Amino acid sequence: MSVTGFESLRALIVEDNAHMRSLLRALLNSAGVKEISEAGHGGTALQAMRERKADLVLCDLAMKPMDGLEFTRQVRNSDTSPNPFVPIIMITGHTEKHRVEAARDAGVTEILAKPITATHLFARIAEIVERPRAFVRSDNYFGPDRRRHVDENYAGPWRRQDDTDDTEVREVR
Amino acid sequence: MTASRPTKKAQLIAPDAYPQMMSRADGARALLSLRSDKTLARAQGAMEAAAAPMKLAILGYVADMEANCQDMDLVFDHVHEIRGFAETAGMASTGHIAEILCRYMEDMRRIAKPLDAHIVALHVAAIARAARAEDGDAAMGEVVAAELGALVARRLLEAQKG
Repeated sequence: MSVTGFESLRALIVEDNAHMRSLLRALLNSAGVKEISEAGHGGTALQAMRERKADLVLCDLAMKPMDGLEFTRQVRNSDTSPNPFVPIIMITGHTEKHRVEAARDAGVTEILAKPITATHLFARIAEIVERPRAFVRSDNYFGPDRRRHVDENYAGPWRRQDDTDDTEVREVR
Repeated sequence: MTASRPTKKAQLIAPDAYPQMMSRADGARALLSLRSDKTLARAQGAMEAAAAPMKLAILGYVADMEANCQDMDLVFDHVHEIRGFAETAGMASTGHIAEILCRYMEDMRRIAKPLDAHIVALHVAAIARAARAEDGDAAMGEVVAAELGALVARRLLEAQKG
């Protein structure tokens, strides 16, 4: 019987710095996650995901040769992606608006700013468990719904400014 | 389940229509675990255990930067790492100065202006001093960080105007 709920969860840490990988592994361990694999950049992470299913990905943004943004795009959009819906928590020291928007538009699920703390990491994981996001597929985006809050009383046009004119929503259940 | 193919009509795929990270039952247990004092205490212990090796790593980056201060790619890579985990290593002032240098280097690249080697060297020296300082010198590190921040802001403004 599961005690922490994390016994069967398979996590993947994608981070080029060994110290950060080690810290993230220790934090996940402390929450009860036992099955953890690691990759040093986006390219090896994709390979790792093909060899071993991942239920949760913690991913650094700045890595070489494949950074976290390209990795996320590949996971979300590649025909060979093992799991386009996998939750991706992007960990970054770059918290400028344009960076956050780029991560969001690549399809990340949550963003965790460095320096990381256990409380913040656990809060992001709890958010994924407690409030799983709908996914959106349009001509120019596939990933978690970028609208965090849906205003039930919103009466204006629903489309994002950069959506194409012929975009309509249909819900899939 | 596989994601459906691109279409002109945007699809909103509800959470119960795609595989979730864990079952609802495991999710309920996971939330309790994530929010328990016991888990947080274990995690705090992990953070504290990570501090010493991280501090050693930062001192290694510092020595490397001092020896190769003209190598801007190396300095950028190292200072980025220092910014990422200096605070976790208990070296907040070092992290703040690294943050200022990171932003300077990123912003100058973004506006396609050459880096001022003296500005970079000044930051590297300040990072080195803060990293090697005892805890009692943290306040001085913050003063240096504030002054360097002001200097960089001025230089960036000049570079943008020029």
